[in-house]
Formats: sequence, structure tokens, C-alpha cells
Amino acid sequence: MSFNPLFIAWGVVVLGMTGMAEYNGWSLTRINQVENVPKTVRDNPGAYRSTYGYYHRYIGGK
Amino acid sequence: MSSAVVTPPVVKAKSLHCPGCGGPVELRGFGHTLSVVCPQCHAVLDVSSPLVQILQRAQQAQEQAQPKIPLGTRGQIEGVTWEVIGFQVRQIVVDDVPYSWDEYLLFNPYHGFRYLSEYDGHWNFIRTLPLVPEQILQGRVRLRGATYRHFQRSNATTVFVLGEFPWRAHRGETAVVDDYIAPPLMLSAEATDGEVVWSLGEYWTGDRIWKAFQLPGRPNPAVGVYENQPSPHQGRAGAMWRTFLWMAVALAAVMFYFTVSARREDVYSNRYTFSTGAGGEPSFVTPIFELKGRPSNVELQIHTDLDNNWAYFDLALINQDTGRAWDFGREISYYHGVEGGESWTEGQQSDSVSIPAVPSGHYYMRIEPEMDSKQSAPMSYDIAIRRDVPNYTFFLIALVLLMVPPILSTMRIGAFEKARWQESDFATVQGGGN
Repeated sequence: MSFNPLFIAWGVVVLGMTGMAEYNGWSLTRINQVENVPKTVRDNPGAYRSTYGYYHRYIGGK
Repeated sequence: MSSAVVTPPVVKAKSLHCPGCGGPVELRGFGHTLSVVCPQCHAVLDVSSPLVQILQRAQQAQEQAQPKIPLGTRGQIEGVTWEVIGFQVRQIVVDDVPYSWDEYLLFNPYHGFRYLSEYDGHWNFIRTLPLVPEQILQGRVRLRGATYRHFQRSNATTVFVLGEFPWRAHRGETAVVDDYIAPPLMLSAEATDGEVVWSLGEYWTGDRIWKAFQLPGRPNPAVGVYENQPSPHQGRAGAMWRTFLWMAVALAAVMFYFTVSARREDVYSNRYTFSTGAGGEPSFVTPIFELKGRPSNVELQIHTDLDNNWAYFDLALINQDTGRAWDFGREISYYHGVEGGESWTEGQQSDSVSIPAVPSGHYYMRIEPEMDSKQSAPMSYDIAIRRDVPNYTFFLIALVLLMVPPILSTMRIGAFEKARWQESDFATVQGGGN
């Protein structure tokens, strides 16, 4: 059986990237990261203003 | 095949004089030759009897075609030395456009005659067949186990002759030619005056011809796709798909490994209730839980009892130690009903999200649910947080990416075959080429 070396290289890259993504727990979901959230959030959760808070309003149904 | 030219048996060419111009004419085909073209005046001579007669006088307007392999050139093909003794140019007319190709007559005193044809840099080594191929279907014939598909029918006219031939070759000679192909082979049936001669051609590259006849320089590059030209992609797609199968097996092994080795650790779960009419601050935080091990994903699952309603969750996974937060929102809606006698549903009561590459540490979730303020029914929902959960989306993407090369290879085969059949009588779309 003959193997195309470029295809083999492509397969190694794809398999490698898949394994790396799985090992590191990567995800396709967009998650915003925020630094330095104050510890007071635990005492006063309502004081925290998230990126997504009060941003979305869904009007669903048919 | 060796490229060395083997010296053929020593033969003496027979000579005669052209009755038209008196110039010397050499015969290399011995008693096989029935007609020969005078190299001086280009008159076609009948040499089937000792009394040489002029079959056709040269026309002033006749264009002098130059054979790419000069007459008298010897070359070795398949271990046999062949000498070029005849050359003719044949032509077909399609949609009032003439297309012509060259044919060379090869001779070996022990093996008889063979032919070379050349069109736009595409060559064929041709031998006549002593048998008639079997007609198996309309447009298909079989010979020695191979099936040949009908490619085209054409009316070929000889427009130029040079050298000698084992028949009374002359300008204006016509034949109805049917070509059947099984690349790199081609069967041709030439019908003339009630006689049908079958021949079998094999596609040769110009480089191979040049090497066989040790011709100087390089051949003209082949233009386009010839009818029995073997696809350069043939066999590659099959090999690619076989390689893909091996890669898919390897991918499955990787997936199996991560499926088995994933910890799927339950780190937190609880049930909550939310009502818009309850008043007060809707947001709250969970107790602190610990995420262990290497950076890995965290899966959050929300299951609600929503019924014809929606809810929005403003969520944050916050590291108690570092103050880093993963901030995101999820909406869940579930509607159902009956319309026109048919039931319908939209959305679902559950949702999950994977938070990528979360390092170990102490964390808590900030949860802020929201619902339509006009809805008074409370919502119960379960929150479940798991650590290191396999994400099969990447495997699906990897499978698609691995398919790309064999799919492209298959498409190239299709494009080559389309270009081939574009030139046939069975072209699906009229091409503008030749």
C-alpha cells in the first residue's frame, strides 16, 4: 500500500491537534475571561456585573 | 525497457525510379509494400507490380507535413526494433473545424507492421488485431477480459502521405473510425469499403517515444486530456481512502483513550428554584468546590422544568484564589403545543456548556437566573458541574478534516474524466476545446 506523505503529515497534525485539544480540555464555546474579580462577590453577588448580564432578553415560542 | 537501439537484421532496401520525376525511391517494406510516396515529387506510386504506376500525382497546394520521427528512423519498442517507413496525416471535421493527427507506420521484417499515432503530444503504439472484440452491450466491447467503452465515431480522411504503405494509401482516403477506450488502451475499428480492421492502441508519453527512438531534443508537451490517456490520479484516491480508514481507526483509538481516561468528576450539583415574583436579589453563589488535576474542561449542565417558558442564566465560574472568572450566559426555552392538528415543540429544557482549560483551584459559581416577569410560575432547575469530560466535537471535526484530502483526490479524478469525456460523442456539456 502506498501512502501519500503529505496526507500522512496532515493526518498526524489533525490527530495531534485533536489529542492536544482533548487533553487540555479546549472547547469551541466562547467564554469570556475576566481577571481580578473581587472576593466580595461571594458576600454580595448582586454587585457583580457580568459581561452578559442584562444583555440578552429572549422572546421565544411560536 | 532498454533504450539502446538494437541493430536490426541487415536488410537491403529495394530501389526504383519514380515514373513521374525519375527520382530514386527506396522500398524498405519488401514485398509488403503496395504503395510508396516519391520523396522528390510526392507522387503516390503503386508498386504492387513490377510496372510502377502513379496512383496520385502531387498537388501543388498540398501542405508539406514534416514527421516528428523522420522516415528511416529505427527505435526499440518492447524489445523489437522498428523502422519508420510511412507517415500520414489524417483529419476529421467536427462542427466545420478540422482536427488532424499524425500516424507513423513501423516495420520489422519478422514482426510485421505497427503504428504510432500522435495528437497534441499524446502518442499511441498501435497493433492491428487478428480477432474481432466481443460486443457485450450497446457502446461496449470486450477484449481479453477488458471492457472498452465507445468514445467517438468519426470520418477520417487522409490528407498527407509520405513513405511506403502495405496498402494503396493516398490522399483523400476515407474511413469511418470508432474508438473504444479502457485507458491506457484503446480499440479502434476502421471501416473502409465493407472491410473493418480492428486495432489496439496503448497510450505512450512523448518522452517514452523520444527515448525509444533516441530522438534529439524533447517532445512537444501533451495538451489537454486524450481519450485513452491514463488518469494521473487513478489509484491515488483509492490509496487516499485506504489511508483515511487507517487514520479514522487511529482517531477512534485516540477517542477511546480519552473516553476511558476522562475523569468525569462530579464536583458540584444542587437543585434551585426561581420565581420572578419572589422579589429580592436573584443572583447567588454556590459553595466553594475544588477542581483538581491538570488544566481541563469543566462542564456545566442545567436542567429545568420550563414549560412554554424561557429562562436566561447569567453565569460565572470564579476562582476564589486568583480572582479569575469565566463569564458566560445561557438561555433555555421550551415551548410546545398543537397547531393544525399537529403537535410541535421548540427548544428544550436542558442545556450544557463546556468551559475550556480551567486550571486546578478553588472555585464557586455565581448564578443569576432571569425569566419573563409576566410569568408567575416558579422554575426549578438543577445545576451539575463536572470536571474533565470528553468533548466529542473535536473528533467529529478531525474526521471531517481527515476526509478533505481523499475527497479532493476523488474530485480531481472526476474532473480528469470529465475533461476526457468532454471530447467524446457523449459529452454532457459542449466544450469549446478540441
